[in-house]
Amino acid sequence: MSAFATLASVYNTPVAMHGDVDQTDSNINARSRALNQFLAGVELKAFKIAQSALRHEHDALDAVQDAMLQLTRAYSDRPAEEWRPLFYRILENRIRDMQRRRTVRGRIMAWLPAHRDEDDEEAADPISQAPSDEITPARRMELDEAMSALERALQDLPNRQRQAFLLRNLEGLDVAAVATAMGCSEGSVKTHHFRALKALRARLGEFST
Amino acid sequence: MSANDDEMSDFEKRTRALLEESVSRTDGRIRSRLNQARHAALAQLQPARRRPFWRSFTLAPAAGVVAAVVLAVVLWAPRPGQLLPGAQGPASAVEDLDLVADGETFDLIEQEDGGFYEWAVAQADAPPEATT
Repeated sequence: MSAFATLASVYNTPVAMHGDVDQTDSNINARSRALNQFLAGVELKAFKIAQSALRHEHDALDAVQDAMLQLTRAYSDRPAEEWRPLFYRILENRIRDMQRRRTVRGRIMAWLPAHRDEDDEEAADPISQAPSDEITPARRMELDEAMSALERALQDLPNRQRQAFLLRNLEGLDVAAVATAMGCSEGSVKTHHFRALKALRARLGEFST
Repeated sequence: MSANDDEMSDFEKRTRALLEESVSRTDGRIRSRLNQARHAALAQLQPARRRPFWRSFTLAPAAGVVAAVVLAVVLWAPRPGQLLPGAQGPASAVEDLDLVADGETFDLIEQEDGGFYEWAVAQADAPPEATT
């Protein structure tokens, strides 16, 4: 369904003037390496955050890719310290767009006959769903149960609370960076985060991992 | 308040550990697709290798001069079958050198056909009326 991994045109970037070519190439290579390192460090957590909000693997992948493309296209010149909150801001905007679009699509599809979702077939493939690491079956079951409970609880949180919680507790951003990513004040972040924690504790209790 | 904070911190630590475990268990297919997405995004940073069109005209005058010189040389240079009058080419020059270096040729002139060569020289030096 998606244009995932669509290669962007390499001709969108401005051409360097002669005489500055070597210097420009060197700068571009350094920036590319830094961005590659940054994106490689955030992509898995970003996917988890998007998946938690969208509850759909392909949509989550699309959202993360769009955020990567937009950060690289529009903000790669910004200082590296700003990339993380900017990236999550873009990702959250993309997630919100997808949620809105899904709401509209759901209203339209409700009027149409039931159809089979091809993505669900792919998601049911046991080989592709196999986890990448090796742990004991008992431990895996325990973790699976705890993760499922946590994911369900997260999905039931309001968007802003889930966003604040995941950016603070999964990505490890400080309050100021979360505020930048969410486009709100630090006080709002603290409020959303506190309410998220309270709701999760009420739902999960003192579960152990 | 502080006790509550400590209790909350433990809860947060457990949820964070669980979430990180979940991230680490992301399957290879998702990792591969994220990797592709990252490289597609980074491809935007690579500079365009095409020359701007205006730069293709900067060397046009020099290229024109070179082309004119090459054309002139091709048109004015003598071809192998069209030697200038009197010129015998490099092969005949080598033959002349061989004749000069060959001592037997002078012996023949002096001993056998000396009279003929003396007559030929006299004919060449004589005025035109005398030769006819």
